[in-house]
Amino acid sequence: MLIAITKRHGHLAAFYSFLAAAALFCAGAAQAGGADQQAAREQHTETPAAASVVVTDDVGRQVEVPQPVRRIVSLAPSVTETIFALGAQDRLVGDTDYCDYPAEAKLKPKVGGAINPNLEQVVALRPDLVVVTKSLNRRETVDALDRLHVPTYATDARTVEEMIESIGRLATVIDAADQGKAQVTSLQTRLDELHRKLEGVTPARVLFVVWTEPLISVGTETFLADALRLAGADSVIHSQQDWPHVSLEEVVRLQPDYLIFANSDTDHALEDFAALRQQPGWRDLKAVQENRLAIISDAINRPAPRLVDAIEQLARQLHSDIFAPQPGPASRTLKLQAVAAR
Amino acid sequence: MKPLTFRRLAWICGSLLVVLFAAIVLALKLGAVPISMTDLVVNLARVAVGQSAQLPTEYRLIIFDLRLPRIVLGMLVGGALSVSGAGFQALLRNPLADPYVLGVSSGAALGAIIALIAAPQIPLVTPAAAFLGATATIAAVYFLGRREGQLDSTTLLLAGIISASFLSALIIFLMTTLAGRELRGMAFWLMGDLSTPLPPSLRWIFGVGLIIGVGAIYTTAADLNLIATGEREAMHLGVDVTRVKLVVYISASLLTGLAVAVSGAIGYVGLLVPHVMRLLFGSDYRVLIPTSVIGGAIAIVVADTLARTVVAPTELPVGAMTALAGAPVFIYLLRRRLP
Amino acid sequence: MSASDTHRTVLGHARDTQPSEPPVRLNVEQASYAYHARGNAAPVFTLSATSFVARQREIVSILGPNASGKSTLVALIAGALKPLSGRVELEGFETSRLDPRTRAQRIAVVHQESPLLFPTRAGEYVLQGRHPHGKSLRFATEEDIVIADNALAQVGAKHLRDRWMHEISGGEKQRIILARALAQQPILLLLDEPTLHLDIGAQVELLERLQQLAHENRYTVIVVTHELSLAAEFADQVVLLHKGKCLRVGTPAEVFNRELLEQVFEAPLDIAIGPEGRPRVHIRGVRYSARR
Repeated sequence: MLIAITKRHGHLAAFYSFLAAAALFCAGAAQAGGADQQAAREQHTETPAAASVVVTDDVGRQVEVPQPVRRIVSLAPSVTETIFALGAQDRLVGDTDYCDYPAEAKLKPKVGGAINPNLEQVVALRPDLVVVTKSLNRRETVDALDRLHVPTYATDARTVEEMIESIGRLATVIDAADQGKAQVTSLQTRLDELHRKLEGVTPARVLFVVWTEPLISVGTETFLADALRLAGADSVIHSQQDWPHVSLEEVVRLQPDYLIFANSDTDHALEDFAALRQQPGWRDLKAVQENRLAIISDAINRPAPRLVDAIEQLARQLHSDIFAPQPGPASRTLKLQAVAAR
Repeated sequence: MKPLTFRRLAWICGSLLVVLFAAIVLALKLGAVPISMTDLVVNLARVAVGQSAQLPTEYRLIIFDLRLPRIVLGMLVGGALSVSGAGFQALLRNPLADPYVLGVSSGAALGAIIALIAAPQIPLVTPAAAFLGATATIAAVYFLGRREGQLDSTTLLLAGIISASFLSALIIFLMTTLAGRELRGMAFWLMGDLSTPLPPSLRWIFGVGLIIGVGAIYTTAADLNLIATGEREAMHLGVDVTRVKLVVYISASLLTGLAVAVSGAIGYVGLLVPHVMRLLFGSDYRVLIPTSVIGGAIAIVVADTLARTVVAPTELPVGAMTALAGAPVFIYLLRRRLP
Repeated sequence: MSASDTHRTVLGHARDTQPSEPPVRLNVEQASYAYHARGNAAPVFTLSATSFVARQREIVSILGPNASGKSTLVALIAGALKPLSGRVELEGFETSRLDPRTRAQRIAVVHQESPLLFPTRAGEYVLQGRHPHGKSLRFATEEDIVIADNALAQVGAKHLRDRWMHEISGGEKQRIILARALAQQPILLLLDEPTLHLDIGAQVELLERLQQLAHENRYTVIVVTHELSLAAEFADQVVLLHKGKCLRVGTPAEVFNRELLEQVFEAPLDIAIGPEGRPRVHIRGVRYSARR
């Protein structure tokens, strides 16, 4: 009789059996997922007696951090650098493909990029804590880690001041409070020293060149702009966007005193610049004609302790009259003259 | 030539489901973290008998919290896009039609970008905004695509293409104002990306939407066969052409909107899976619709597995994989010269 | 009923086997249609009041040059358009008021072929003719298959059943399209210029087949054409249209008047009456001669 029914209502039967199969499948999948999420939760709370502390991270999330923190995964190069600076690198079990400083960071197990880390790898490393940054990592990654019950701590810094505080807080969270305090003190002292030296000095008008084609600079709300200010520089570009596209004409009109390039490879940067000064628009800039450029390490891009090094480096180049001459910058000045001579 | 019977349809779908099952098992096994086959089978068996608490934590997390939801999402998206493509190919009388030709994906992308700019903090606002953008585009193109009160294939196609272009221009303009991190996220989204796990509630909504959409199109399957021989002829054979076109338009567009809202614009699937299924099983829409659903699911599961494993641990967006694989398939189909 | 009276009187000797008139199947009464122009402009009449009556087993030819309103009349008869005035009734029911499915169970329309979107086999194509008779979501029943096979046999195309539509010749395709119409098991068969792309042999074959089908299956067949000779030879009744107006209705002998045809078709013609009372049309000389 079933066959007779299906023969007459063939289509309907096909449709409904398809529906039934689909429903069964969805139910099965949901069951599997749900059952194991529940089991995961049970497992999680079963982990006996492991104490955990609830902390508030830089973006205001409440994070339950298991104690002690033995395994850390970093999802941003700045975080990796900070962890190394805090002396906690032995507990760093994984970082991103782009974590390249210090050199040992490259040897750590990789979990993919910062934007799209491979969640499977992260989970397989069984971290006690994953550290991310608000500026580089995606909200979706954090949400996904939350759903997987992996404790995730987010750092954020809009200014250099905030960055230093953030380092201190992170140090406390990962049981490196002493080193944290030491770092904070050291960085703060150097910045205070710099501030003292630059007291009363007119800030140099600069253009920070992120990219040349198209021309991209930095906005006023970034911590990079803040770093520039601390180095006695003032970006001529005032924009609310983080990475504004700027027209070359506008720059020519503004005529900044200095061009700043961030590139750890100084020779490469000098070669690029040599090519640049022939180009229309660029050659009309007085800063180009008079070779007033500053090349600093790309640590200026990362909210990590090395940022302060870069700030000092920049200050020395912009206001060389105030600072005692040092081997590094002097040789750079010699190279610049060599470039000009070509 | 044997006319289509229920038994033949069931047989075809059954075999495809077997292939899908195999693809799912492979997808569960393969990934950045190696899991051996025996481990997988043992773990699956444990779940089946309700002993999930005994699974090692990482395996449970990886297999059931990461891979399985992603596979399910991939199947839903693949099925939705393929059926939508098949529907549009009939509606627009054009074998080159794909789910995005009427601008639905551009509308969804615009919604997503606006959400990113306006309220990036609120979770789930991106898929919701994308879906809203999609529905707005569907409505707009519908009104633009009418001629003498009913949907006309050529007018609809033109309206859709123009809308897509216009929306894309808006998107590019807005993208220049995005901050760097969101921009990269947007690029992934535009390419089609399954790496963001979806909360279960959204997955359920999607599943229900898929069933409704596919079901609605399936009720017109026999009519579509007739319309494919000519709209006038179909009308004289008793088909309510206006109603059928409207049902197909709305269902296919909604399916596309759902798919794009959760995973971005994964390309080539909606275009090619129906053609491959036609090659294998014929152009009868009563077969084509169910086989496209299953075929699309298989295609995305395979593509996503490849995307996850080819350069592990880095993940390629699945849309890149479908494009890479899709182009040769497309060329092959062209050489076979579909009439 | 005056038209049919005339019909009977003139051709009484030809219809000697019928004791009584076969019932009227199609009644077109003062039907007209106009496509409405935009705004307040007067509507453009594509067909003015046209009347004729068609019966079982009858072949009616709607004859006229291009743009004479033939396609509009076909659409009105098929119920696809609602007449602006007058009515079109099939066995008492107004065709435009029937729902499409019911219409399709009674009226089969054969147009010139449209390009097929996807590869289709001839057998599948013919099976589609059964669509109006079943529920929308179903597979073909055994009865459907038998009817479709019969339809193919009736057009002499049984051997084409498994062939792809895009691989057969124009004439064969025409037969398959006709078979699909037959599979609908209609009572009225409407063909719109079916002989356009056929050579003379295929044209004759088609019309002979239509005659046979009309008799065996009791169809009413309406053929739209501009081929004078074919209409003369095969039609029982001719409806002559010119620029949207119905000029004359009657047997070929009644309608094929030399002045009338020359005016309608704008060509020099000669009419002769053949042995069976049917007119024969010849082209009379050429107007311009190269020699003069």
